[in-house]
Amino acid sequence: MKRILIIILFSSILFSCGKETEWKTEKTIALGEVTPIGITFTPENGGRFWLADGDNNRLVSFDKEFKGMQIEGEYERPMHLSYNEGEILIPEYGSDRIVSWKDGKKTVVPLQDSLDAPGGVDARGKELAIADFYNHRILYSDGNDWIRIGKKGKKEGEFHYPTDVQITDNLIYVADAYNHRVQVFDKKGTWKKTIGTEEKMNAATGIYISDNEIFVTDFENSRLLIYDLNGGLKQILNNGYDNPTDALIVDGKLYVTNFKAKNIVVLNRE
Amino acid sequence: MRYSIVVIMMGLMMGLSLSSYAQKSKDRDFFTVKVEGLGCPFCAYGLEKKFKEFKGIKDTKIEMETGIFTFTYPAEKALTLEQVEKQVVAAGYTPADTRIERADGTVEASEKEEISSDTPENANWKEAEIFVAGNCGMCKARIEKAATGVKGVASAEWNKKTKQLSLKYDAGSISIEDVESAIAESGHDTRSAKADDKTYDNLPACCLYDRD
Repeated sequence: MKRILIIILFSSILFSCGKETEWKTEKTIALGEVTPIGITFTPENGGRFWLADGDNNRLVSFDKEFKGMQIEGEYERPMHLSYNEGEILIPEYGSDRIVSWKDGKKTVVPLQDSLDAPGGVDARGKELAIADFYNHRILYSDGNDWIRIGKKGKKEGEFHYPTDVQITDNLIYVADAYNHRVQVFDKKGTWKKTIGTEEKMNAATGIYISDNEIFVTDFENSRLLIYDLNGGLKQILNNGYDNPTDALIVDGKLYVTNFKAKNIVVLNRE
Repeated sequence: MRYSIVVIMMGLMMGLSLSSYAQKSKDRDFFTVKVEGLGCPFCAYGLEKKFKEFKGIKDTKIEMETGIFTFTYPAEKALTLEQVEKQVVAAGYTPADTRIERADGTVEASEKEEISSDTPENANWKEAEIFVAGNCGMCKARIEKAATGVKGVASAEWNKKTKQLSLKYDAGSISIEDVESAIAESGHDTRSAKADDKTYDNLPACCLYDRD
């Protein structure tokens, strides 16, 4: 009998280890008058969250508990942010430029091309990618050369108002907002796959890619969609979301920004 | 005596206030545009960008919740209500009310359209539900404005989720097809009337419904 109990216990432990739990809402944090569009996190000095406050033309930061708000400067319609090696990159939708914030200093990132309403930016080491909204394209630099990915359209590899972008080890993920999907490219700009067409999104405005999942904010439907890296749908979250715009994982917790509700939903998988 | 002092004080305060306003705005007109259905920041900020084509525009502000867009513009350029509303429409949006406070103190405001004002009293009222393609609050404003702009339509309400337009119209003077044509001209497909590609392409990003 003792042996049977041990086997059952061992089996259940093995089973629970193999099964990944779902994301669950832990709490919602009100942001006052902040209308969050983009979110990033800086690990220095205990860590701070940074939010692009679009309606108020500013960047704000909070401590890890979302307290102690600081206004970090004025920006013209800031969008999806990026943090890389001590530097925050801010796409200014209203002034068609990317601004760098480092150690309290703002500089404009030099580009050899003209943007029209950048909706998102991502940096990874020397690499840089920009979602160029009204030009319906992604600009990508490997640190040396720039390439332009896509053009206006609905076919594979084409875009209809891209709003966010993220670079991973080998791929570039794009929130192809008004084609209602996520598209994935290699770093030569070759289309690899499309994700999310079955879910009938209504504006895929923000994406976040973790080691094993893809998070998509479905703006008009007020949902968060979670996929595996092959594009298989894992979870749909639709309670407590009100025009979500971006997602981010920090220390195992998932943070989702709600533009209309002016809050952050915090999720865990404990 | 006390009453006289109060009246004099109030007069002085009003005078100071008006003087301050005149000084502040003596070179610039102040514009207020109420835009229907603003909901997506990408589109709302796009409207702001569109107005940058008016060289000299300043102090732009958009309140997403109320849909109120305000800005100032050099008074000597005498920007008109019509020019402002035309620019709003060119950007794919639906203006509801427009107001100009001129630098010289005069005020101009757009006239509100009276819906179906010449509908006959013995109208043959009917109700109908029709499918209209669209996505968002801005679509709703555009669709409803197009429908109620048809003489003989008493009311029109579009549901974002079901895509159904609830219509009350005078079947004696107009047909459902008349309403569908007007809606298609605004950029939205119905079952029997399709918007032309150019009009569809000019819709704001968030209004680009799936046509496949």
